[in-house]
Amino acid sequence: MKRKILIGLVIFFLLFISSGFYIITNIEHVTSSLDGLILLHQVELVRERLLTELKRTQLDIQLRNTQYARSVDAMVTHVRTLNDIVNSCFECHHTAQVAARLDALQISIEAYKNALSRVLTLRANKKRLVSEQDKTFQIGSDIVAEVTNITDLTARKLQTSTTSALEDTRHMKIFVYTLLITAPVVALGFSLLFLRWFTRPVSVLVNATRHLRSGDLSYRIDGLHDEFVEVADSFNKMAVSLKEHYDRMQWAEQVVVLGELAGGLAHEIKNPLAGIKASMEILSTDPTISDENKDVLEKVTEQVKRMEVLIKSFMSFARPPSPQYDVTDVHAVLDSTMAMAQRHPLFRKDRVGRITLIKNYDVNLPTMIADPAQLQQVFLNLVLNAADAMPEGGTITVSTLFDPEQGRLTIQFRDTGKGVDENLREKIFQPFFTTKTKGTGLGLSISKRLVEQQGGAIRLEDHNGSGVSFVITFPVSARKEAPVP
Amino acid sequence: MLKILTSFLLALIFATLPCCSRTEQEHPGSQISAEHAGPRQVIRIGLIPEKNIFKQIERYDPLVQYLSKKIGVEVQFKILLRYGNIIDNFVSEGLDGAFFGSFTYALAHDKLGVRVIVRPESSDGRSTYYGMIIVRKDSGIRTIGDMRGKKFAFVDKATTAGYLLPYAYFRRHDIDYHTYLRDSYFAGTHENVIMDVLDRKADIGAVKNTVFSWLADKNKRIEQELLMLVRSPDVPENALAFRKDLDPKIVNDIKTALLKMDQDVEGAELLSVFGAKRFIVTTDDDYRPVYQYARQAGIKLSIYDYLND
Repeated sequence: MKRKILIGLVIFFLLFISSGFYIITNIEHVTSSLDGLILLHQVELVRERLLTELKRTQLDIQLRNTQYARSVDAMVTHVRTLNDIVNSCFECHHTAQVAARLDALQISIEAYKNALSRVLTLRANKKRLVSEQDKTFQIGSDIVAEVTNITDLTARKLQTSTTSALEDTRHMKIFVYTLLITAPVVALGFSLLFLRWFTRPVSVLVNATRHLRSGDLSYRIDGLHDEFVEVADSFNKMAVSLKEHYDRMQWAEQVVVLGELAGGLAHEIKNPLAGIKASMEILSTDPTISDENKDVLEKVTEQVKRMEVLIKSFMSFARPPSPQYDVTDVHAVLDSTMAMAQRHPLFRKDRVGRITLIKNYDVNLPTMIADPAQLQQVFLNLVLNAADAMPEGGTITVSTLFDPEQGRLTIQFRDTGKGVDENLREKIFQPFFTTKTKGTGLGLSISKRLVEQQGGAIRLEDHNGSGVSFVITFPVSARKEAPVP
Repeated sequence: MLKILTSFLLALIFATLPCCSRTEQEHPGSQISAEHAGPRQVIRIGLIPEKNIFKQIERYDPLVQYLSKKIGVEVQFKILLRYGNIIDNFVSEGLDGAFFGSFTYALAHDKLGVRVIVRPESSDGRSTYYGMIIVRKDSGIRTIGDMRGKKFAFVDKATTAGYLLPYAYFRRHDIDYHTYLRDSYFAGTHENVIMDVLDRKADIGAVKNTVFSWLADKNKRIEQELLMLVRSPDVPENALAFRKDLDPKIVNDIKTALLKMDQDVEGAELLSVFGAKRFIVTTDDDYRPVYQYARQAGIKLSIYDYLND
């Protein structure tokens, strides 16, 4: 945002500076043109005056020795004025071409003055006097022609310069008008753009808070930039945290309700079942019962036992035993668990699909404070679930990892089964949810409850059709605060 | 918009006109004109056409302005077209003084009683000049006999170098130049005479050596192509003289200012431009060679007709 503000300021500054510079340059150019024009007018006037004085002097020569002759003083004054005018021409800067022409003109004027001096001072016969007078007049006429020529050139240049200056002025006027119209529009456009830049992130944040307030905890902020990326990230993390807390609370409520329900139900069923089971066992000992009826009795007894297991699970879920904490070597618990699992029918060697167990332990994994029995219960459940998910065989990889920076210990159980449908992933830890024909739907929910009871977390990671992973994490440091038996 | 711009331009042009009219500025303390006559005190000084009159004006203009500033009285000069005019103008134009040529001074002193006060001294310490009769080297003229039937250019009848020298020269040889020469005329200035001989408009000329040297510095042809045949005695350089009844205080102020001119920076610079090192005191005694030369030529100053033919 700071960068954008800076960019905005720089753009406005550059706009201002460039406009100002362009205007000043144009004004300077136009002023310079007008100055040049004035100078040319001055030069024009000087040349006109030069021409006038030349013509006066020529007239003085013509009138000399007539009754209309002007005084010598007047003639001398005319020539001196003429001389001053010519000298004034050299006070201005000229191009080399003009300077050369002026030099030539000055030389001619000097010759003219010499000739005039001769005409004024010579005392000779009439023929000589007339000859000198004619010669002087001719020099004067040549100068008049030259000055006229220069004046004409100046006039043409003046015309060109005037046209150019007027054109420059017109361009300047158009530019200024254009600038007056476009500058506010451009400035307004940039202002709106910057305003949008500045206010959009705030609007997005306000909108996001409205979503949260309306209960949409899955809403996330996206598309913000600069410093607002951090704000959006924090907001999104907050939303995630809220969602997790909300889900946890919901889960806790579910567990409590279901636990109480299951506990009550189990308590009510447990005693009748015990009676049925005892009766069945007594009946089965009667020698008069046919083998056919004995089979029925055994099946009833078997189902009753199954119901007892189920009730036991209910009870375990509803009132899980308190963890018995001890310094626990997770690898030892895992080894014990896998040894136990390999004796399970799912791992029988004559099974169609063979299950392979692979260990991938982190040698730096520290011991932790946990209930090893409950951990084993969880691990065994996950290993058996994994084996069950691979009826045609596969590999179960058990990995451990210790992240010292975060103080977190991770245990992963990865299978190579078909994975879990996306729509079932969220329900997989819910009580009584199962995809098995004979499952109680309590294994994963109990595991989750046992892990969370010890401060850990469990989650499912799908590997896009190449199996799933159950990942358990424990904060090692947190566990140290747990009571050690 | 075009009208506004045009008006603006015209306003600017007219506003700047005074700046452009500097060429019309008057020349205070310089050339006398009828309009200048007024009640205030003005000292009027005449200038003889020793050289091109416009060069004379350029040479003397700074000097009279300097004098005006120094003595607190406006000094003006009047360029004269003839040497002899200076005598007439003392009466007709009311001149107070003039830079006289040596022979002109002798005439004016005799006729009007003018009093000489100072004359310039050149950087080489010379305060005199002499007259020269010049010809082209390729003219073949070397003696007075060669001058027969030639065209002679004088300067003015009131000049030592430009007329008195050749007049005395012909008279010494008992020759009437009017009949001896094919043609003669008065070119008016020494510069004109030199250039006329150089350009073959005249065969022989009579000029003063200082102008000859001055022109020779500018035009190498003069030294290369001209030859001096006759030389006059040394006579005082053109000097400043005033009418006898002019306020002695003013005369003294001017004299003091000119004599001290070389002692201040501005004055020294002006003297350098003027072509002199300083002004020196001059008295009528300095003109003895002129009076003597005139007597030798048989000229009686009191009745001498100084007007050109």
